[in-house]
Amino acid sequence: MSQPRYVADPDGEVRTVQLDGLALLFHRPSGMTHIVAPPAPQILEALRLGPADIGELLGRLRAWYDFEVDEDMEALEARVAELEAAGLVARL
Amino acid sequence: MSGIEEKDGGGISAMPSRRTVLALGAAAASTVVTIRPALAQTAGSVLNCEIPVPGPHAGGQYISAEGSLVSPGTPGAAPPLSRPLTGEEVKALLNSGATPPGVSPQSAQAYANYIRRLQAGMSGFTCYASLQMPR
Repeated sequence: MSQPRYVADPDGEVRTVQLDGLALLFHRPSGMTHIVAPPAPQILEALRLGPADIGELLGRLRAWYDFEVDEDMEALEARVAELEAAGLVARL
Repeated sequence: MSGIEEKDGGGISAMPSRRTVLALGAAAASTVVTIRPALAQTAGSVLNCEIPVPGPHAGGQYISAEGSLVSPGTPGAAPPLSRPLTGEEVKALLNSGATPPGVSPQSAQAYANYIRRLQAGMSGFTCYASLQMPR
């Protein structure tokens, strides 16, 4: 089974406002506002470097962050699925 | 944009000086809450809204395969539609590639790309935006 690859909308299409631990994202193409908690903004940031599958995405995040526990792909997949359902991430 | 504090600018070049611990969370936890604009409340009537292709500001212009406005008669470009597409037609076109009646598949793709590029303030944008609401 080939891994799906994901892509995030470019920076210019999403207005971000930081609110302490949360971020407000205004997605211009849909006119929707999303309140997101970590690790959602970090995932979007990593995806803006270019399309990636879950494994590559995990690698990018590992380069920037330490993980609390030995994080698995399943948790990251669930986070990306949420962003996809919200329309902030699309599958290629 | 303020971005994520450790690496404003979005590149890898600015490496965080202090490594942040990131929790991906339990698979069941949710990290995204979506606020839908008020127009989403009219979901029942969304499919009856209309999108002119192109909008009245660009009457007569053709639509390139990429969805941008081009001069009438440009080779490979689709002619303007004589009637606006309904929300229902646009939804079918964007989701499954279903071609509206009387439209060639190639032109339909150009119209779909035009619609995807609509911005706030352009005719048809609110209709398009409301079609994008998650179920």
